[in-house]
Amino acid sequence: MANKRILIVDDDPDVRHGMHVRLKASGYDTSFACDAISGVAEARKQIPDLIVLDLGLPAGDGYVVMERLKRIPALSMIPIIVVSARDVQANQERAIKAGASTFLQKPVANAVFLAAIRRALGEPALPEETGTFKLL
Amino acid sequence: MKTKALQILLVEDNLADARLLREMFSKEKPGSFEFIHFLRMTEALNHLAKSTVDIVLLDMGLPDAHGMDTVRLTHAAAPGVPVIVLTGLDDEAVAAEAMKEGAQDYLIKGQIENRALPRALRHAIERHRLQTETDAIRIQQLQFKDEFLSHVSHELRSPLTAIYQFVTILLDGLAGELKRDQQDYLAIVLRNVKQLESMINDLLEVTRVQAGKLTIEIQSTSVCDAITYAVNTLQGAATAKGINLSSEVDSELPMVSADPTRLRQILIILVDNAIKFTPANGAVKIQARMLEEDPNLLILEVSDSGCGIRPEMTERIFERLFQAQDPALAGRKGLGLGLYICKELVTRQGGRIWASSTPGVGSIFFVTLPVFSLPRLIARAFGRDGRTERPITLIVTELASRAGWLSDDVRVERSQAVRELLQRCLQSDLDVLLPKMGSAGAVELFFIVAVTDVIGGEAITRRIRESLGGSDYIEQAGLTIATSYRSFDVGKRGTKGSSSDFLQKVAEKIQLLMNEENSSRTVCNGE
Repeated sequence: MANKRILIVDDDPDVRHGMHVRLKASGYDTSFACDAISGVAEARKQIPDLIVLDLGLPAGDGYVVMERLKRIPALSMIPIIVVSARDVQANQERAIKAGASTFLQKPVANAVFLAAIRRALGEPALPEETGTFKLL
Repeated sequence: MKTKALQILLVEDNLADARLLREMFSKEKPGSFEFIHFLRMTEALNHLAKSTVDIVLLDMGLPDAHGMDTVRLTHAAAPGVPVIVLTGLDDEAVAAEAMKEGAQDYLIKGQIENRALPRALRHAIERHRLQTETDAIRIQQLQFKDEFLSHVSHELRSPLTAIYQFVTILLDGLAGELKRDQQDYLAIVLRNVKQLESMINDLLEVTRVQAGKLTIEIQSTSVCDAITYAVNTLQGAATAKGINLSSEVDSELPMVSADPTRLRQILIILVDNAIKFTPANGAVKIQARMLEEDPNLLILEVSDSGCGIRPEMTERIFERLFQAQDPALAGRKGLGLGLYICKELVTRQGGRIWASSTPGVGSIFFVTLPVFSLPRLIARAFGRDGRTERPITLIVTELASRAGWLSDDVRVERSQAVRELLQRCLQSDLDVLLPKMGSAGAVELFFIVAVTDVIGGEAITRRIRESLGGSDYIEQAGLTIATSYRSFDVGKRGTKGSSSDFLQKVAEKIQLLMNEENSSRTVCNGE
């Protein structure tokens, strides 16, 4: 079975890179976009299985991306996980209302990140998480 | 350029006094002052509601308002306008009082020199302008500081994320096998990432404290659970440093009236500090017991065998940005915000925090918290002797979010806002808004009110429905509400109604708790 494809939309190249390495190690394929416009364009092109979305983006923020994706029938059902440095209180509810399945605040522990992805993709949760996440 | 005339609103019912005052301006340049004169407070207030003036000259003895009321009414009608009060010779004390209420100055009738009045007016206007300006700048600066702190804290998270990602990539061997030393060094990097993250969180927390946005949801809370949580969370850090972390809790401790999340936070700060300041092979201990002197208070102790605190410092350590001065003992410094946040949290939950210490031997931090007592909470509704002949009505408001689940932070904030709305729906001295009773899940929130008669229950239920139903806040927050009520007889064993009913269960729970309270304490770790 082919690997699931995840589109990472984040304007920080290092964070994108870090997510890519982590996701690849967990058996996912990744593609990237660094702003709101290319985020939607990449989603159209790739039709990924899941989108990891930052909120603070150039050319319109993450909410704009979710708004546009919702209006494109072929993309409206793709699960979205928001990973942002923005304030939880001010953004969590708003992001979920806008269509995200989860809001995670940066820095997010690896295990939490991967568990959210598995849940959004409808994959079974791992019985026990391993790795270094427990320290953070 | 022609300067605009200063508009003076004169409120004076004595026509002779008014004429005398106006004459004092006769020597001024024509067109520099303009009088608007009213004999009654109501007339003056009407005028202020419609148009602005530069200053109000106010007699404190008017037919329709007297004394301090005149100042308060004027301020309420025109908050930004300076006021000078006019009083009689024997009323100087009242005038001083008026200054406290916000009047700029006072003048004693019959003692005003001719040229002094125009000058006093100009000064008052200028002083008032400067004061307003200074206040505005101060508020702006505070706001800027809060926004700045919040902005910086959030911006720091992105680079921190990248560091965390790549350190863990290396540590997990995703970029190849590591040597033992390399692993150790990266573990140090990771530990520091964690410390940075907690500093950022502290910064944000302090911003919340200062902006008055710290949310606290008081409810019946188990101290044992909080202690167990703190020990589990920090056992690793203690063991790594060779410190023995233990707890000793009285087997039968009552629940406390506190926010469980905040109580855990308090303990984490105190125990984390204790571990930080205790050398290897030392000991840190958490204890909880009833306060002997006061059965309504429970006391928590966090003791360590660390370097201790100089006696003159035991109070200062709770100040914002306080840091240990001795670098040899302090090791790595934090931001100096932990104990400040801690004190704020304890105080806001009705407790007290202090420390005692013997330098070189160790320190003990004490926290008192009020014991949760349902009878005490509803004592008002039950009357002084704890019994009532009248039936009690329970009202429950259930809240749910249309968005489904909410994070704890958001839920608590919503819950607090709704509590405030509910509180306003209560009028009787006998009605009580209870804290969350423990049956609420993560999504739904329940608020329960005990009132002393059926009619009251119906009226309050209607008021709650109207108030919450018409609230923009509820609408915007995407909340749904449902309110119902039921009366029951406290004196009797059983209550009427079907047993599946939620209110019925709450009523039974209240009775049960009342009985328990009278016979024995809630057993720790029970339930």
